[in-house]
Amino acid sequence: MAEEVLAPLAGKVLSVAVAVGDAVEEDDELLVLEAMKMETVVYAPADGTVGSITAQVGQQVEEDDPLMTLD
Amino acid sequence: MKPYFETMDRFGKALKPGRIKRGAASADALREVEAGIADAVTAVEEAGFPTEKINARGWMTVYQRLDYLVDTGTWHPLHTLYNPLENEEGKTNVVDGLGQIEGRWAVVIGFDNKVMAGAWLPGQSENILRATDLAARLNIPLVWLVNCSGAKLPEQEKFYANRRGAGTPFYRHAELEQAGIPVLAGIYGTNPAGGGYQSISPTILLAHKDANMAVGGVGIVSGMAPKGGFDTAMVEELIAKANAFTGRPPGDVATHHDVTGFFTRVYEEETGVLDGLKEYMRAMPAYGSMFFQAAEPKEPAFPIDDLYSLLPANPKEVYDFDEILARLVDGSERLEFRPDYGPEVFTGVCKIDGRLVGCIGNRQGYLGKGYPGYADYPGMGGKLYRQGLIKMNEFVTLCGRDRLPIVWFQDTSGIDVGELAEKAEVLGLGQGLIYSIQQTDVPMMLVVLRKGTAAAHYVMGGPTANRHNAFTLGTPATEIEVMHGETAAVATYARRAAKEHAAGRSLDPVIDKMNELVERYHKTSRPAYCARQGFVDEVVKLTELRRYLQAFTGAAYQNPTSICPRHHMLLPRVIRG
Repeated sequence: MAEEVLAPLAGKVLSVAVAVGDAVEEDDELLVLEAMKMETVVYAPADGTVGSITAQVGQQVEEDDPLMTLD
Repeated sequence: MKPYFETMDRFGKALKPGRIKRGAASADALREVEAGIADAVTAVEEAGFPTEKINARGWMTVYQRLDYLVDTGTWHPLHTLYNPLENEEGKTNVVDGLGQIEGRWAVVIGFDNKVMAGAWLPGQSENILRATDLAARLNIPLVWLVNCSGAKLPEQEKFYANRRGAGTPFYRHAELEQAGIPVLAGIYGTNPAGGGYQSISPTILLAHKDANMAVGGVGIVSGMAPKGGFDTAMVEELIAKANAFTGRPPGDVATHHDVTGFFTRVYEEETGVLDGLKEYMRAMPAYGSMFFQAAEPKEPAFPIDDLYSLLPANPKEVYDFDEILARLVDGSERLEFRPDYGPEVFTGVCKIDGRLVGCIGNRQGYLGKGYPGYADYPGMGGKLYRQGLIKMNEFVTLCGRDRLPIVWFQDTSGIDVGELAEKAEVLGLGQGLIYSIQQTDVPMMLVVLRKGTAAAHYVMGGPTANRHNAFTLGTPATEIEVMHGETAAVATYARRAAKEHAAGRSLDPVIDKMNELVERYHKTSRPAYCARQGFVDEVVKLTELRRYLQAFTGAAYQNPTSICPRHHMLLPRVIRG
């Protein structure tokens, strides 16, 4: 079952470290959000495979917006 | 109080391979800074004559004396790179730090006899005052290795006079003695003038057989013939006088042991002096370790090497402070004070070698919806808000009441700004924290993990704004400045840029100035600069941090000036409810 990765805070997507189909392990970097001059790394909450990515570099996201899914 | 302290709340988690992999580049960057610091330290230690040359004269170097004197594995150097006036010698010419002698902590300081026979240099008195302040704050002995040829005369105007000039340490010795803190001196070589007072001002004077100390040395005694200037004939006369001088230098052991008795003891061998210091150290007051241990000492549950993966070199990257702390304290255990309030700071009781300490540190990252409650903008860790300031005020006050030494960990971008923050009283609460710290009268140490910025660097136990900071450490990620360089460039040049733009002129010159300022801020805020200027007392490897925490707590609990019985402590009860 796909697990949604949500934005932990509002911010701009600075970089995305994975691509659809990548296998990731828990605590691997998925993407970086920039907010309040600080960079927050979003880590994989569990082992899985990247199913889809909705976050785009440069995109402004709100807290709890979906960023990607892990299968 | 066993239920409180024997096993406290475990925290932290083991690093996953993904985190280690992701942090690899940052870890390399941190280790590269550490390597640069290590090179600078080596250059300082190798300044002056080579060790072999000193040894060939029958003398030990100050480093060899320290090595013999201090218990193996207990030396914690401080101020190694300190050189605030940028002396060409690369140092202030004293070597100091915390170390154990015969199992007892002391502040140990010695003149570097490889450089100008241990002369006074610019910036040295400030270095010495840091050592005397440290002994006073920790209430532990100050041990001197005196070998001081007096002032570097061509630069005397930089250090001889003034309120904190080269003579200041002499009355500081008197102050320590008034406070019941002994100052021991092992005395070597020729110590005229300033060196003479360096020798006479301690409490117990142990001399090597070839040592002397005097108000003035041979140079002055044999050569004074003031005529308003010099010519060849006069210099030739001086040379003749100097060559003809065959007498003893004033103030040798025949005078100051046999006649005045100022030298308590005289030793044939250099090591004999150091053995004498050890003997006196054995006679010092010191509580046994069990007296203040609330529990058996434990190593942290996680390896200290993890710190390289956990502390990002990138100052903008968010990390988990709690994971850092879990690598430093006994058993990775704590009693957290008010975890549901002021989320931007951790406050809690931890153990170092079984002894209780209060720990305070900035938490990083987003602070959650609705925080800070007084504003419509999100709260971000590293910044201080109303609740965090109130929490720290409460916590240090309780630490003072329970006589717990405090360890601060800073990574702060400042106190919240703006009208809403002013209405939330952050200005008063920040200064209130300075007041709260002052009234605790407990020893504190500070680790500037990464950023030490704005007034937050002052109020969070910083050395600038309180007397209780025993010493401050930097790390390879440390950056200390009033604000970030980019912020400073905006504050300095934004109006000018607007003016130039309105006038239709090119913005390039302003942009160049802004970038120059950013670059200057970068250069003057990095670890080596902070160490040279004394913003921190030492930059240490991340793997050394726990050792320094152990030295601090061991020294703070060696002979404290006041005690709170553990069963009378309030803080653990307030935490547990």
